[in-house]
Amino acid sequence: MEIRKFVCKRLIEIFVIFFVILTVLFLLFRLAPGDPVTRMVDPTMTPEDAAHLIAQLGLDQPIWLQYIYYLKNFFTGNFGISFHYGVAVLSIILNRLPNTILLFSTSILLSAFAGIFLGKIASWHKGKKTDTWMTLGALICHTLFLPWLALIMIWIFGFHVGWFPLNGMITPEIWLDSSSGFWLKFLDIAHHMVLPLATLFLIHFGSYLLLMRSSMLDTLKEDYILTARAKGLTEKVIRNHHAAPNAALPVVTSVGISLAFSLSGGALTETVFSWPGIGRELVFAVSNSDYPLAQASFLLIATVVLISNLVVDVLYAYLDPRIKY
Amino acid sequence: MVERFLEGWSVYKENLIGKIGLILLVIFALMALCSFFPPMIDPMYHPMTGVDPLISHSTSPSWRHWLGTDFIGRDIFCQLLAGARIAFMVGISAAFMSILLGTAIGMIAGYSGKIVDTLLMRLADMIMVMPTLLVVLILSSLFGQLNIWTIVLLIALFRWPGVSRVIRAQTLSLKERPFIEAAKVAGASHFRIIFRHIMPNVLPLSLLYMTFRVTSAIIIEAALAFLGFGDPSTVSWGMMLQWVWKTGHMFQAPYWLLPPGICISLLTLSFYMLGRAMEEVLDPRLRKEVAQE
Amino acid sequence: MKRKLLLFFQIFIILFLPLSCGKQHDYRFLKIGLHEEPKTLNIWLASDANSKKILSLIYQPLYLRDPETLNLVPWLADGEPKYHPDTISYTVRLKPAKWSDGSDVTSKDVAFTAAIIKEFRVPRYYSSWKFIKKIETPDNHTVRFYLEKPKAIFLTRTLTSSIVSTKEWSDIAQAARTKQKPLIALINHKIEKPMGCGPFVIKKWHRGTYVHLQKNRYFFGLGQDIGGRILGPYVNDLLFKVYGTADVAVLALKKGSIDMFLWGIQPGYIDDLKRQKNIRIFYSKKSAVYFMGFNLRSLPFSDVSLRRAIAVLVDKEFIISRILQNYGTRMDSIVPPGNKYWFCSDVPRYGEGMDRDDRIKTAYHILQKVGYTWEIPPVDGSGRVVPGKGIRLPNGQLMEKFTILTPPADYDPLRAMSGMMIQEWLRAFGMPALSRPMAFGALLTQIKGRHEFDAFILGYGRLSMDPDYLRNFFLSANDKERGWNMSGYKNPEFDHLAEKSTSEMNQELRKKLIFKMQKIIMRDVPYIPIYDPALIEAVRKDTFTGWVETLDGIGNLWSFCLVKPNDTTSQ
Repeated sequence: MEIRKFVCKRLIEIFVIFFVILTVLFLLFRLAPGDPVTRMVDPTMTPEDAAHLIAQLGLDQPIWLQYIYYLKNFFTGNFGISFHYGVAVLSIILNRLPNTILLFSTSILLSAFAGIFLGKIASWHKGKKTDTWMTLGALICHTLFLPWLALIMIWIFGFHVGWFPLNGMITPEIWLDSSSGFWLKFLDIAHHMVLPLATLFLIHFGSYLLLMRSSMLDTLKEDYILTARAKGLTEKVIRNHHAAPNAALPVVTSVGISLAFSLSGGALTETVFSWPGIGRELVFAVSNSDYPLAQASFLLIATVVLISNLVVDVLYAYLDPRIKY
Repeated sequence: MVERFLEGWSVYKENLIGKIGLILLVIFALMALCSFFPPMIDPMYHPMTGVDPLISHSTSPSWRHWLGTDFIGRDIFCQLLAGARIAFMVGISAAFMSILLGTAIGMIAGYSGKIVDTLLMRLADMIMVMPTLLVVLILSSLFGQLNIWTIVLLIALFRWPGVSRVIRAQTLSLKERPFIEAAKVAGASHFRIIFRHIMPNVLPLSLLYMTFRVTSAIIIEAALAFLGFGDPSTVSWGMMLQWVWKTGHMFQAPYWLLPPGICISLLTLSFYMLGRAMEEVLDPRLRKEVAQE
Repeated sequence: MKRKLLLFFQIFIILFLPLSCGKQHDYRFLKIGLHEEPKTLNIWLASDANSKKILSLIYQPLYLRDPETLNLVPWLADGEPKYHPDTISYTVRLKPAKWSDGSDVTSKDVAFTAAIIKEFRVPRYYSSWKFIKKIETPDNHTVRFYLEKPKAIFLTRTLTSSIVSTKEWSDIAQAARTKQKPLIALINHKIEKPMGCGPFVIKKWHRGTYVHLQKNRYFFGLGQDIGGRILGPYVNDLLFKVYGTADVAVLALKKGSIDMFLWGIQPGYIDDLKRQKNIRIFYSKKSAVYFMGFNLRSLPFSDVSLRRAIAVLVDKEFIISRILQNYGTRMDSIVPPGNKYWFCSDVPRYGEGMDRDDRIKTAYHILQKVGYTWEIPPVDGSGRVVPGKGIRLPNGQLMEKFTILTPPADYDPLRAMSGMMIQEWLRAFGMPALSRPMAFGALLTQIKGRHEFDAFILGYGRLSMDPDYLRNFFLSANDKERGWNMSGYKNPEFDHLAEKSTSEMNQELRKKLIFKMQKIIMRDVPYIPIYDPALIEAVRKDTFTGWVETLDGIGNLWSFCLVKPNDTTSQ
């Protein structure tokens, strides 16, 4: 089938891109000034101790040798040991990944759905007050500065109003109490997720709304809509069942395209809200010169983007019969 | 050219969003221009090193300091003005460079076709996939504190793919037009064809995309500065937010916290509005819509 | 549709309201906020403050410093160490103590600790143990240390070093020996529940969020009178909560989610915290020095007069009053004034009490005398101060642009800002200075590794009480790649005094040597010490009391052994 060929081709492309990123990362990290050992040294460590540690960490090998080991390790699933945490990078990433996926996918789904729904309504009432307010609202929300919005959310809702926790993903007191049930823990996470989710939602739903709106306006001019009207179907049916699903398709693709932007926003959100995810780990690893962890985190994020793009393309192919591969 | 501009302008004027955007932009541009004056009045108004000899901590707005002072006694209003200047500089330079790159690559890819096209577009794909902020983050943290121009260059290097795709599509459709055929028959070199014939037709599209590039450049620089990876000798709005945050005045000094954030948002908004309005100007189909209502 | 939405909101509120009300305050739990997650529970890898703090509640040293007098108090040890001059050895007796699994702490554990550190050359510990020739364990509670030669740091650093148990580490060490990189295997071994003899043991570490400790019923100090204090611990559970940012932690403190924040608080929060009824603020001195250093290996800073002139130009009062918001002390010697015993106050105090014009005039005279000239001198013919320009060295050369490297603003805003101000003061004097923040790792490589710099602003936030670092920083032999002599200072007179001080076991005589060393350094100013920041910490008054103040803050081992719930109805 055509789609199968398409998917295979894309997978190969993804692999190539991945390999290039891997190599570029290796070169960048090795050639940069500063190394983590200097951070681990304090007045009581003599130069001999430092040299000893460098030898043990393998940082004194020639670059090409390090590269070979690097590739070998990578494809055997050994992402190295984090310089900062002292445990396998893989275990840290696996620990953080679910948290990011939870927050991230929920926020994208929510904003996409809300954007589609509201965009549909906005196009309905084009030119009237509802439309103007919605469009303006979407524009303003979309251009808010994310870290600033996050801090204000914490200040107002976490501190002054006090309904939500200030940061983090769980409440230690609930989790260390062995009598806490599954449901309580689940609610606790949900409770912590509200503010970061709200922040991400506000920033992202705007663009989906505007896109859906203009897409709807375009779709409503298409021929088959005229046909449907001629057939005598009500406006409501036409909009919801004929126009909207087609109009939503460009929005779906744009989700894929804007993923990179959303991930940057995700990293910022995780940092400000101390949500223990991959984005925040990347920021920390980078400021600690923790090469193995920073490298692996970045690669993971890149992989997520690449695969998501693939998924979005395939989805689009299924949904839109007009696309031929 | 001039008629096209005037024609565009008359359409633009009708658009409310465009008007608001333009007004905001003008206000910010004025702010940027005015940023040169305060230090001339009194050295204590220098955004970076000008401290008030009498005030050594954060104070709320007063006649002396219209938005109050920061934690070592520097005037916040002057910092805000300087920030406007930096925002324009960063935004426009980064956008300009990325448009230059994107347009050139897009045209070459569309015109050449085959291998060159595939290679360039694959490159574009690869770069587009990268979250720009995170990449610049890693680079700036590895290579030490980055200078503002390096940051601008890096942003430009990672934002051209979006433009190039659009330009390439446009070039592809233009390639088949008769006047290009005519030029080829007349013996024009490829170079001449690209820059004399194709470029003027894609330029409006480039300019349109430039406005969107400006917004992302401003946001990326602000986010970098906020996280602490910006250029510490430049007073940008993101840097101001970083100072409020790191010195513990986040929740005590709204006169320091609110202005930079609002400015970033408003400036971004104004460029965005400008872009939307320009879209209507350039895309006749959208204009027809207006006529219908 | 609207009705569905309304219903959703109602359910939402009902579900979340109980969660947001928060649990009733549980006095068993002492909740401490951490600024950053601890890195590890493996004591050999723990280089960050938070890991060290938590592990210090578990692994214990032989001697501990009294919080007020700073003298060594027998902790795991019983009585003072006995010195035998003929064999250069010390005998230490141990208190009866148990590890957290109930087994006894014996002298063999002390010997094992030393052996493991020496065999693997564990960083940060090795230098405190490497000069110990051998250790004898005549019986289960007696340890005899034989030194190669007299070492003053034996008393101050070796005896205050943590002791680990053979039971916990011997298998790990054995496994590590077989690996290609034994040291890495040792320090990377994952420790879930460290076994110590201290007041607390680890219950659970939920990575990224909290560390839960519980009272160790085998703690040797439980109910005992040590150093004149009856020790607890009087809390059953310790909860260390990780907060990503300081301002959220401060909010948590105000809200009551934590009882104490284990990190210095920026001066900006103080006004607000002072107004809170339930918050108490502690101000402690730190054993720290933040200074401007020079590269003496080349021009222009190889000239001592130039360094003295700059020492005058640096307005320490400005930095302390504005940048530190008055929460710090001025420093005139490398040894902080808080270190009362070793601090020498009889050193030159450059620029003290002078205003800006006086500074410029004084610096001008210093330099003019040795032959510096200017295009536009900062002091004109009639003695008025003007902006200077284009300073020339005595040999006629124009002074080249030089950089002052500082850590980045997000790492330490104080140093970055100080660098910026110093740049301006020097520029007004006619010197082409540029202050440049640089990522910390890169900064250290440049300065310590490659010696490629002109000047820098760095600091040592946790100086040991023992002033041996003074020798380390300025010994000629330490001027090598990655060596601790970053400035390249070479003075045979200083070297001689420094060597003598390491082997001088008599405290009073050693003090005289250390004083002389300080005077020499402050005469030659390879470093200009600027400030010692005060440590500002905040706790809730209403929940727990009994925090012990000492140098370096209230989050010390004594506090954790002595804090009590502040409630007459405590459970």
